[in-house]
Amino acid sequence: MSEEVYEKKLLDKFSDAVIDAFASLADKIRPGWKKRNKSRIDEWKLMAYAFNRSPPGIIGAVLIVSFIVLAIVGPYLAPFSYDLQLTFFDPDAKRAPPGTVIEIKGKLAEVLGVKPGNYTLILGADDQGRDLLSRLLYGARTSLVIAILVMAVGPWIGIILGLIAGYYGGKIDELIMRITDVFLAFPGLILAIAFSAVLPPRISVFLDNHPDVRDFFLTLFALKPQHAGPLASLLAVVVALWIVWWPGYARLVRGMTLSERENIYVEAARALGVPTRWILLRHILPNILGPILVYLTLDFGGVILTEAGLSFLGLGAVPPIADWGRIIYDGSNYFPKDWWTILYPGLAIFLTVLGFNLVGDTLRDVLDPKTRRSIEFKVKKKREG
Amino acid sequence: MAICEPIIEVRNLKVNFYTYAGIVKAIDGVSFKICRGETYCLVGETGCGKSVTARALTKLIRPPGRIEGGEVIYYSDEGPINLLELNEEELRKIRGAEIAYVFQDPTSALDPLYTVGYQIAETMYEHGRVSKIKEGILRAVEVLRNVLMPDPEKRVHSYPHELSGGMRQRSVIGIGLSNKPKLLIADEPTTALDATVQAQLMDLLMDLKRRENLTILLITHNLGLVAEVCDRVAVMYAGNIVEEAPVEELFRNPLHPYTKALLRAVPNPRKKSVRLESIPGTVPNLINPPPGCRFHPRCPRVMDICRSKKPPELWRGDDHRVACWLYE
Repeated sequence: MSEEVYEKKLLDKFSDAVIDAFASLADKIRPGWKKRNKSRIDEWKLMAYAFNRSPPGIIGAVLIVSFIVLAIVGPYLAPFSYDLQLTFFDPDAKRAPPGTVIEIKGKLAEVLGVKPGNYTLILGADDQGRDLLSRLLYGARTSLVIAILVMAVGPWIGIILGLIAGYYGGKIDELIMRITDVFLAFPGLILAIAFSAVLPPRISVFLDNHPDVRDFFLTLFALKPQHAGPLASLLAVVVALWIVWWPGYARLVRGMTLSERENIYVEAARALGVPTRWILLRHILPNILGPILVYLTLDFGGVILTEAGLSFLGLGAVPPIADWGRIIYDGSNYFPKDWWTILYPGLAIFLTVLGFNLVGDTLRDVLDPKTRRSIEFKVKKKREG
Repeated sequence: MAICEPIIEVRNLKVNFYTYAGIVKAIDGVSFKICRGETYCLVGETGCGKSVTARALTKLIRPPGRIEGGEVIYYSDEGPINLLELNEEELRKIRGAEIAYVFQDPTSALDPLYTVGYQIAETMYEHGRVSKIKEGILRAVEVLRNVLMPDPEKRVHSYPHELSGGMRQRSVIGIGLSNKPKLLIADEPTTALDATVQAQLMDLLMDLKRRENLTILLITHNLGLVAEVCDRVAVMYAGNIVEEAPVEELFRNPLHPYTKALLRAVPNPRKKSVRLESIPGTVPNLINPPPGCRFHPRCPRVMDICRSKKPPELWRGDDHRVACWLYE
């Protein structure tokens, strides 16, 4: 018990250090920031304490952080490239179970830029003889980039439409919400399937015309230049998810805006000649940001899951691109004999999505002042007692 | 009495609310004129349309409400403008800069997420008085000093929850005055505060009025306050102005039966009374307002004509106006 308390205290110190570091940085950029935002910094620290009291939250945070770190450095750590077929060196590499040792040697290794030597395939290889561990690491990058690209745009379409609909009301509200209803009437996944099936040729043309954009995304996804074609289908998934991802947010935000705009300070701002755009973005949005933040975190996992689902259905990632859903799809032909091609990417998806859900749930408790206070009181009691 | 140089003139204003239950005729032909430099009061019971009138002046009525007719002439330095014909952007420039509002509840009139200084700076920034929010926050210290906020240098960085009710209302008045408006519309500015703070704030408002050359439209249901600070008073009932007069005239010589009843309902501390006086009945449902004079179901001196025809506006003297058939 005492050990547990000690461990938690360590975590509190860590979160304090992170927040202090951020505050000092902000203070350096804008002198005086720390002093002016003292109460805000204290509030953040209390939020961190509350978060630290939640074991599921910590587990989730660890899962998310490891996912993000692996997604960033994974492609550099991976022993092989995502598309390297080890069967060139050793025919046994095809559908090799975990633990198989293969030897890489010869002129071909030099040409392909692989260091010669003995490699243990920790997680085995797939039906093309590609190292599963390497593909999972590249797959993490694919998932993270897609999730970020989707979340950076999709929900915001909904948030902005929801703000407009809720604030103006009347005919504008009706129009926006009926369009939202139309989108909600289709199952999101089906709509996404339709769009990701139709879009790739168009995006392909766009990428050919804009080499800078293409190269940027190739680096982002850690793809080789010759795989610009499959890149188009990845981006098609992103666009498809933008299109299906906003209606939920439009509804959520509209509802919250409706109740928020009744506050006198919104009317006061209007009566003092503050422009609508400013009222929406500076007064209404920040006041409803808490629930939106929770929803965004939970949805991060949702996007990863949906994207894996699309790839599993054969849309989105095209071979040889490494994508968790696609790896499962390719492996399913050889299941259950080649269990490793299903189990490991499945675990990767499971743990990542679980991480986001756990953190989202905890954030909901931490961002809600009522539940947070009760957690904080417990913390204080423990310290005094 | 000095000659009235009008700052704003309302002619036959009509506002309806389109609800599911039916059309609420909240304001039905209200006309009045406010002279430069005076304190003009709108009094009446809850729900008689005082606040709706005030908001309609700069088209702050939201759906399902709609301004159905009338004119609001604002006499700006560049000449008269009909505010109801302006578009949203033109109005935005008038709101705050020419006509500012102070609302009833200072607790909810401030955004809990921003410091007081920021909220003052914001309106100055939007009206181009300062080029940066930061500069506005520096100027906000002056604004707060102007409304007699204690320790303004520190309070500029306070969040609304860190201030007392009186300090909050001082900040709200400060925000209202930060752009040097000509007309300040104060919608029950002291209702949410306790009696001593009320008195302080009314002193402050009157003091500011003198210093800043303000015209004030004060909305209240507190007749004591009216007697103390107002120059001219309009009594509203169910969406109509039933009587308008200089304050002394109104208290000494009320004409409309509603005004009389209202004045009787104020408890007199010198007289020991067993029961408080009240006006029998309630404010009528404005979806189906009573035909003729809207007060007739509660009027002690009701006549036949009151039930069928709306009373005309009758002048008794130069500045005493009453809408009642009794004086025909």
